[in-house]
Amino acid sequence: MTQSSIALSTIALIGNPNAGKTTLFNALTGANQRVGNYAGVTVEVKSGETYTPHGRKIRVLDLPGCYSLRANSPDEKVALDALSGTLPGEAKPDLVVCVVDASNLERHLQLTLQVIELGLPCVLALNMVDVAERTGLRLDPAKLSEELGIPVVPMQANAKKGIVELKQALRLPLPVASEITWNSEGADPEAARRDFIIRLCELAARRPDAHQQTLSDQIDSALLHPILGWVFLIGIFFTVFWAIFSFAEIPMGWIESGQGALAGWVSSLMAEGDLRSLIVDGVIGGAGGVIVFLPQIVLLFLFIGLLESSGYMSRAAYLMDGVMAKAGLSGKSFLPLFSSYACAIPGVMATRTIDSAKERLVTIFVAPWMSCSARLPVYFLIIPLLLHEKEGTWKQALVLFGIYALGTLTAFVVARLLRGRLGEDITPGHFLLELPPYRKPQWSYILRHVLDRALAFVKKAGTVILGLSILLWALSTYPKKDGVDDAEALAHSAMGRIGEVIEPVVKPLGFDGRMGTAILTSFAAREVFVSSMAILYRVDESDDEEKNRSLLRDQLSGSKWPDGRPIFTPLALVSLLVFFIYALQCLPTTAVVAREAGSWKWAIGQFVFMTAFAWVASLLVFQGGKLLGF
Amino acid sequence: MSHALATELEIDSAMTLNQAKVGCDVQIRLLSGPACERLRDLGFCEQLQVRKIAGGRNLICSICGTRMAISRELAEQVLVSPLG
Repeated sequence: MTQSSIALSTIALIGNPNAGKTTLFNALTGANQRVGNYAGVTVEVKSGETYTPHGRKIRVLDLPGCYSLRANSPDEKVALDALSGTLPGEAKPDLVVCVVDASNLERHLQLTLQVIELGLPCVLALNMVDVAERTGLRLDPAKLSEELGIPVVPMQANAKKGIVELKQALRLPLPVASEITWNSEGADPEAARRDFIIRLCELAARRPDAHQQTLSDQIDSALLHPILGWVFLIGIFFTVFWAIFSFAEIPMGWIESGQGALAGWVSSLMAEGDLRSLIVDGVIGGAGGVIVFLPQIVLLFLFIGLLESSGYMSRAAYLMDGVMAKAGLSGKSFLPLFSSYACAIPGVMATRTIDSAKERLVTIFVAPWMSCSARLPVYFLIIPLLLHEKEGTWKQALVLFGIYALGTLTAFVVARLLRGRLGEDITPGHFLLELPPYRKPQWSYILRHVLDRALAFVKKAGTVILGLSILLWALSTYPKKDGVDDAEALAHSAMGRIGEVIEPVVKPLGFDGRMGTAILTSFAAREVFVSSMAILYRVDESDDEEKNRSLLRDQLSGSKWPDGRPIFTPLALVSLLVFFIYALQCLPTTAVVAREAGSWKWAIGQFVFMTAFAWVASLLVFQGGKLLGF
Repeated sequence: MSHALATELEIDSAMTLNQAKVGCDVQIRLLSGPACERLRDLGFCEQLQVRKIAGGRNLICSICGTRMAISRELAEQVLVSPLG
């Protein structure tokens, strides 16, 4: 054996979900990584390095949380492979640290015994001893160590207590594999393990006789109450939603004005020409269009992190399970779909917590039908025009609510149909969720996680979106015609010509070619529709957004077809609304779906399906309405 | 009476976790059904005590100090008998 391979012995951390394995991993290696209260946050094997008290370097593997080594789920398969040394690129670990929750020894020791049975040297990290002692459990680590035949280290990983003692146990020579004392010849190994654990717990972890009412129980009696629980659920999520909308607006304003200032600065530096147009309208405009989503994403993930880390998220999933089951989904789909009301992009990213692969795909598929905030400017433009009113009356609020309800209901119906078609998962999934005790949020992990997500979004989606923005810019700029105003230039460009070509396609929906063009430009981002309409219908822009919309509305209500009929009849407006509810006019979403679903086929299929669905729905509304005499 | 028969009689008098009253402490007698391995991994083992905290579409029970929410289909596979 060479010196370097001695220096780099590998230890693997294994334990049930929520045993504090990832917290211990972070405390050992100093690497920052997410700790969620949701079962199964660690999906891949992560590795890091740590040092023993003597300064010897050790590699640490953080295996996925699992309940047994029977390889029921992909996570458990990975854990078993890593322990038996069959994971590609990983040798058999030199030592296994079994992380157990001291207040749950009856459950967690199962896995420890299975590891010992594999013949691997083992150290037991008796985590969360503080919680266990608070519930009145009397622990006897020395007795536990004696009975199991392995070193036992009581610790509190979240407070970094016991880390040094654990490192002491990792000194050379490493402990040897212990004898299996519980398995007698011919007996059922399951039953033998069970009997041994029950005997062991009676000896070394005596529970108080009376059932204790912990603080978590008291909180749960309110938060999971059949009636009150719903009041809290609605209250909490309404607050989160409101906070995302109202707080995100401030940094979004900064980004927009910063983007404007940068564009202005670049414009003043460069001579007028295609290159300037590319940089100002294509690159800065395109990148700004991405970055502007960032505050919402950051806030949403901050709140998700808070709710998850405090333990409330699994309660919400528990409460919502019955509602989501009507759509063929489970409680775990609630959060991603809810997030999608703010923006489908973080919503799609949040589907990672869903265990069932098929349920996750279905959730990703319908998420864009939860009306996102980018549609709001369009709704604000059209609804007052439809009702012949100024902005902001209760009738408009009612229409807006109807729009949200229509999108959500359709999403649920389609989810149900799709779930039925995809069939059951290979392993039947039962609703099964651990409700962890309420804990104080771990801010450092939450902030780190939010930062990771934000960077991932900017990096990965940003490159794709930027490319697409430049493409759209090129389409609406070339071929050029000199000496004409913006509207004619746009009409002359490839985009304008496409608009002309597609007029026969959108005419049955009650739209003219200019609206067709505006809709096409809105596929980069929905809110672009309003500014495209302003250019196409020649409205002078002012600085005030609301005034812009009202000017545009005056212009639109006067627009007529060549034969003198008004274009924007109530029916055409309803048809336009329906189109915007259903169409997936958001290339960033498609890019993120492709990444999260791992398949461009799924993303493009979703795009085509939703656009076709929107077209058919608008067609039915317009033509049906005409037949009924509207 | 043979031991096997005694066990059988005992199981006859048992009920499923679904039938247990909310707020009751019960002892797990037997697991039977396709998901019983999964249940054992989660801590639903023979002889252990469970307190049923809430019923309904999904049950909440407290087992060894942990709260678990499990579906009715899973709870149907857990046979319990009242303590005491």
